[in-house]
Amino acid sequence: MGGLYLPSRLEFLRATQNSDGGWGYFPGKQSWFEPTTYAMLALQSKPDSDAALERAWKLVRSWQLPDGSSRPSGQVEGGTWVTAHAVTLACVRGVYDSNVRAGVDWLLHVVGQEHSLAMRTASYFHLLKTKLDVSHQGWPWRQGNASWIEPTVHTLVALKKVSGRYQSAELERRVREGEELILSRKCSDGGWNVGNPNVLNFDLPSYPESTGLALIGLQGRSSAELGGPLEVARRFRRETKSSLARVWLTIALRNFGDSVEPPPEEARTSNDVLLASLEALGHPDGNYALLHTGGRA
Amino acid sequence: MTRRKFIPLAGAAMLGTYAGLKLQRPPKLPDGPPGNSAVSVQRARSYSDDLVSRMIEGIRQCGLDPRGKRVLLKPNLVEFDSATVINTDASVIAAAVEVFQKLGASEVRIGEGPGHRRDTLDLADDARYRSTIPKFESIFTDLNRDDVSAVRGFAGEPEFYFANTVLAADLIVSLAKMKTHHWAGATLSMKNFFGLVPGSVYGWPKNKLHYIGIPESVVALNRKFRNTFAIVDGIVGMEGNGPIQGTPKSVGVLVMGSDLVAVDATCCRIMGIDPEKVEYLRLAADLGHLHRERIEQRGETVASVRSNFALIDEYKDLRLA
Repeated sequence: MGGLYLPSRLEFLRATQNSDGGWGYFPGKQSWFEPTTYAMLALQSKPDSDAALERAWKLVRSWQLPDGSSRPSGQVEGGTWVTAHAVTLACVRGVYDSNVRAGVDWLLHVVGQEHSLAMRTASYFHLLKTKLDVSHQGWPWRQGNASWIEPTVHTLVALKKVSGRYQSAELERRVREGEELILSRKCSDGGWNVGNPNVLNFDLPSYPESTGLALIGLQGRSSAELGGPLEVARRFRRETKSSLARVWLTIALRNFGDSVEPPPEEARTSNDVLLASLEALGHPDGNYALLHTGGRA
Repeated sequence: MTRRKFIPLAGAAMLGTYAGLKLQRPPKLPDGPPGNSAVSVQRARSYSDDLVSRMIEGIRQCGLDPRGKRVLLKPNLVEFDSATVINTDASVIAAAVEVFQKLGASEVRIGEGPGHRRDTLDLADDARYRSTIPKFESIFTDLNRDDVSAVRGFAGEPEFYFANTVLAADLIVSLAKMKTHHWAGATLSMKNFFGLVPGSVYGWPKNKLHYIGIPESVVALNRKFRNTFAIVDGIVGMEGNGPIQGTPKSVGVLVMGSDLVAVDATCCRIMGIDPEKVEYLRLAADLGHLHRERIEQRGETVASVRSNFALIDEYKDLRLA
């Protein structure tokens, strides 16, 4: 692990852990589930990280609610999409207890509202302003809202990772449904945006960040289905100047077997904890494979 | 009843309800709060004009005194497309920072929580915010990822979360862009407050607001945050399929005021849109002044700067007679 890139980011993460065990989006800020998840994934199995990981795991476990869902932070009531992260972290740590089972059950229970009978009826009569295939079941950011690409991706990663332990026909069905939802929302330019490819008969463009994420959710689908989007992702990665987009695309492409060139060995410059974690994850010596589900990890 | 029978019946019922709603005469709008509201329309033919002087004049005409206040400037930063004008121009924000500092604000910050999950600082870079606004990164807060606190009673929700930077501000200045909008008809100073809602809690987009209802959410946000001022960037606005894919429309104005309903109503009239047909403004008619006779126009008259914005078919009936 020579160079500056990965060590500087891991050191930053070790130095910015809050006293409650979590990480904020920025150093010194409230702990949130999302940056804590990616900091944990980045530090997993790395030297001098065990104690930090234990404290973080204890915190995120304390955020689980009786219904199995997880709160996005200690300040916010009610479970959200981060429940998927809780299941993924449990799989990475090899924990498969009743709490994890409750999280999986909650995820299987949640369906995007656009799949409700009222919305499907409205779609049947062409009363929707968006051209969405509402026949598929994905996941929302919060229960009671519509499905979007990103929460669907995080849940697919979690369910695929846990599928070896909690096999069920329902889990397999929801995984297929989630993948179909993502495929159905591909933009006309071959990538993905947050989940609305067309509004009022106007096609909307794809984004590099969402395209990387969508591909992470689609690991395991055939190359015939993903050949075009992978080319779009490679082009986006070459062209984007967004650090966040580049790192999501890098993680996606590495998990599809691309030999993405390593980043320049430069020290971290941003104080964005989520970005530093993802950059560490996406490094050739990083833990990007923890998000690998192509062969059902 | 079988599902096969239910779906056409339910659809027919929905259509019937829709048709019934269309035939109803809209209820009379409330008169709004007592007194009148001042709205200043300042000409600025380009972003290289002296925007600081225009803003100071508009603020003076509207009687705002920001001395000693912690001011949060809320621009409209959504996406970037070099072919059009989606975001509040960087020059307008830079001028506003200078103006509020000059006028004695105790603190001036910029905060935005874009509706799509993008790289916010990268968007800010593309939109020239980082290069144009001095010390941008040290005064900018990504409201999607700020610390949050709960408030009670927002839009009928038992608890709702807002970024602490928003809750700590004494004055929120909506630095909106004058644009048409494919869901709301127009997006101006009031709808700009969608960006006050944290994505870390509600996701990207803030879909919870869509389920509360877009017009209802616009009004709820403006009911919650009352210490506000608006500066709408109408120097170059967006017409047609806004708020992202429309085309630039040069109008050459900044529209300002403390009554955001009156500011948005004035912007609509400048755009050739009837504000009394814009649903969120109808719902907000008790919060501020929508009626022309209750708005004291300062600076330019609406008639002298009116420039009809192209409207997509969905909103043709909003055209002001």
